Amino acid sequence: MTMLALIILAPLLAGLAALVLRRAPEAIALAGAGLGFVAAMALLAGIVSGGTMQLVLPGLPQMPLRLVATPLTAVISAMVATVAACVLIYAVGYMRSDPEKPRFFGILLLFVAAMQALVLAGDWITVLAAWELIGFSSYLLIGFWHGRDGVPGAAMRAFLYTRSADLGLYLGIFVLIGWAGTSEISATLDITGTPALVAGLLLLVGAMGKSAQVPLQDWLQRAMAGPTPVSALLHSATLVAAGAILLIRVAPMLPSVALLAVGLVGGITAVVTGLIALAERDLKRLLAASTSSQYGLMLLAIGAGVPVAALLHLIAHAAIKSTLFLGAGVFQHDRDSTDMEAVAGAGRTRPLILAAFGLAGLALAGIPPLAGFFSKDAILAAALAAPGAIWLAPLALAGTVLTGAYMARALRVLWRGEAQPVSGKGMGWMSAGIAVLTALAAGLGFAFAPLEHLLGAELPPEGAAMILGLAAALSGLVLGWFVAPSRLMGPVLPMAQRGFAVAGGMDGLVLRPALAVAATCEGFERRLLAAQLGLVRVLGLGTASRAERSDNRLYAATLQVGRMNLRLGNGAETTDTHGIDGLIFGLVARTIAAGRRLRLLQSGLIHRELALTVMGIAVIAAVLLTVPILS
Amino acid sequence: MILELMIALSVGAGLFGIGLYGALSQTNLVMIVMGVELILAAALVNLVAFWRYLHPDEPAGQMFVLIVMAVMAVEMAVGFAIAIARFRVRGSVEMEEARELKG
Amino acid sequence: MTVQMIFLAFFGGAAVWFGVVVFRTHSMVRSALALLFSQTAIGAMFLVMQAEFLGVLQIMMMATEMSVMAIFMVMFMMDPGGMGKMDMTHQKRLSLWAGGIGLLAALLLVWLPDWGPVALSVPGAHEQAADLGRELLGRSMLIFQSAGLTILTAMVAATMVAIVPNAEQRK
Repeated sequence: MTMLALIILAPLLAGLAALVLRRAPEAIALAGAGLGFVAAMALLAGIVSGGTMQLVLPGLPQMPLRLVATPLTAVISAMVATVAACVLIYAVGYMRSDPEKPRFFGILLLFVAAMQALVLAGDWITVLAAWELIGFSSYLLIGFWHGRDGVPGAAMRAFLYTRSADLGLYLGIFVLIGWAGTSEISATLDITGTPALVAGLLLLVGAMGKSAQVPLQDWLQRAMAGPTPVSALLHSATLVAAGAILLIRVAPMLPSVALLAVGLVGGITAVVTGLIALAERDLKRLLAASTSSQYGLMLLAIGAGVPVAALLHLIAHAAIKSTLFLGAGVFQHDRDSTDMEAVAGAGRTRPLILAAFGLAGLALAGIPPLAGFFSKDAILAAALAAPGAIWLAPLALAGTVLTGAYMARALRVLWRGEAQPVSGKGMGWMSAGIAVLTALAAGLGFAFAPLEHLLGAELPPEGAAMILGLAAALSGLVLGWFVAPSRLMGPVLPMAQRGFAVAGGMDGLVLRPALAVAATCEGFERRLLAAQLGLVRVLGLGTASRAERSDNRLYAATLQVGRMNLRLGNGAETTDTHGIDGLIFGLVARTIAAGRRLRLLQSGLIHRELALTVMGIAVIAAVLLTVPILS
Repeated sequence: MILELMIALSVGAGLFGIGLYGALSQTNLVMIVMGVELILAAALVNLVAFWRYLHPDEPAGQMFVLIVMAVMAVEMAVGFAIAIARFRVRGSVEMEEARELKG
Repeated sequence: MTVQMIFLAFFGGAAVWFGVVVFRTHSMVRSALALLFSQTAIGAMFLVMQAEFLGVLQIMMMATEMSVMAIFMVMFMMDPGGMGKMDMTHQKRLSLWAGGIGLLAALLLVWLPDWGPVALSVPGAHEQAADLGRELLGRSMLIFQSAGLTILTAMVAATMVAIVPNAEQRK
């Protein structure tokens, strides 16, 4: 259980630390990714030895958050952790001279954490939250160099496309939770009947958005405006895998109609985007279209009823495509562009990188004994054995042919051209990342048998598929190397170059309307605010003037009161000074005058005093004697 | 018996009158003190007469007499002390010249 | 007419007459001596009225006091012998009137009221003295003590007033 938590927490905390501390982001990033990788391996080991693990966290009422480690989720989690670790090692060298490294590594690690949460999710709420988070971090990462031309637009486009498709995901999840009464994924997979069909189709819409299936494939190509490590991690192995992972997990629930729909969507995407890849004039955009094509093949496999084949191809494709992208990044570093004309001949000066690129390309085409061979085989076999094989098998074959074709074309461009001098800065890191992934791309095929055993799945017999697959791959490679695209595709070329845009494409149907609605809302809000301000002003000023008038009246009244008080005060003062004071001072003056006259008695002569004393005594004695007699 | 009382009291009255006349008319301080002595003596006579003829069993009457005698002596002493002080300042104790307290 | 009455009248008259002499004579010494005799007559009256202790006390005290007064007379008087025959009185008429009115008022007070029954027997002298002593030290102790304190205060005061610091004396 700690492994579950650690897989998500290690990159999460490392990402936050990188964003907050802004020091030694590479070290923190490598530490976080490394720890996550170790934990994922430990989890896989634990699952291999048997049993599932679950981690329940409190969430919404009666809908707790779950992280569950089944063989399926553990395998995908291990894949994500491995690719993330390798890409981060590569990114240390790639982003050497970039001034905003903390932001890059921080958001990248946050993405890794969110992706792991999505993979290991055990309930739909976690899926939704993680889905949103990976979409948001993808937006941030695509728009990393937001100062450059076209980058903000590309990021916005990617975000809006996937967002509009997410509506399907939301509705599908609501149907599932509402019908099953719980948000636990394994419980909701027991639904049957119409709700299952509806939910399945809605989830397909969501998956189409994230996995860049037709008609929502354009955003992936525009997403190439981001840094190459981002393309390698997000847009080849993880983010776009989210759609496929979703469908793989709900595959047990999907009724046959939904499966057919999935398969058709995947097949058409494989062909259409393959053509677009062939017609592309930019190396990374070629690889992006290739990604859509491969995911189309995966959806086809799911539609054929064999999700295991899709899973195997997912794992193989992760290693292969990330190698291709990392290699393309090296060439971009050398030539400062990924335009076909710019990178022509870039492979000459870097033979080892070209070798890795070539190896991965061949693996993608399906040449044994590389990993892609086994997974392509599985898909073809599934397509042939499927109920809707009439539709699915041709599409699968065409997809395989086209895969070989555009990979050969890419290799040819890289080889044929003039060699130019290159610098070796950061090559150590980049080479290390590429090397590990190349090794995986080459050798993973041999791990598929144990994987199948672990997942407890059976693959249909492969005899015819193997032969057909090889033939298709080789023919595609030859065609791609020797025949120019213009001649190969003919009239389809201009349409392919424009990305098969129909009626203005997603741009016109989705993006521009959405932005226009947003602008209208903004204008409306501004007018509302102005109206509010006007209202407030009118009310405020009106009350203010009224208040001023009443204030004046109050002031006058107060003055009157004050004047009256003054008059009262004056009156009191006059009575006091003339009346009372006069009385008192008059009394005082008279007393003083009397005293002055009495003073004359004081002669100072003893005999007089004595005489007066005697008189006084006589008076007292008389009083004392007569009073008792009288009373 | 009552006549004796009357005689004694009359004597007291006479002494009182004479003493009063003397205290008021004399210029010399010592003479004034003499007049006061006579008044006090009159009081003494009255007291003893009352005691003898009205309440002979009450020793309080004699007590009163003792106190008055003591007062007489004290008054005389203080008066003469003042006279000495006055004599020292003025050279005489004539009360006609003592106008210092004139208001 | 008892003996007591005669003696009373005699001694009383003597006292009054000597009192008059005090103020009529010009000689100061004679004035003091006249006062002495007057007080002695009063003392004799006390003895007649059977207040032996008081009478003896009066005579003894007055003798001493009058002698002292005589000395003071001689000290302070301008004309102790009275040879100058100066009239040393002032406000004579006022004093005469005052004295006369006083005398009359007193006589009226004496003769008008009814004094009630006259006591016939008097305790013996020894008994009187004993009673007086008991009274003094019993009920009248407070009065006695206060009187003593007052006398002491008066003595100190008189001494203070009379004596002068050496410095001034030399001036």
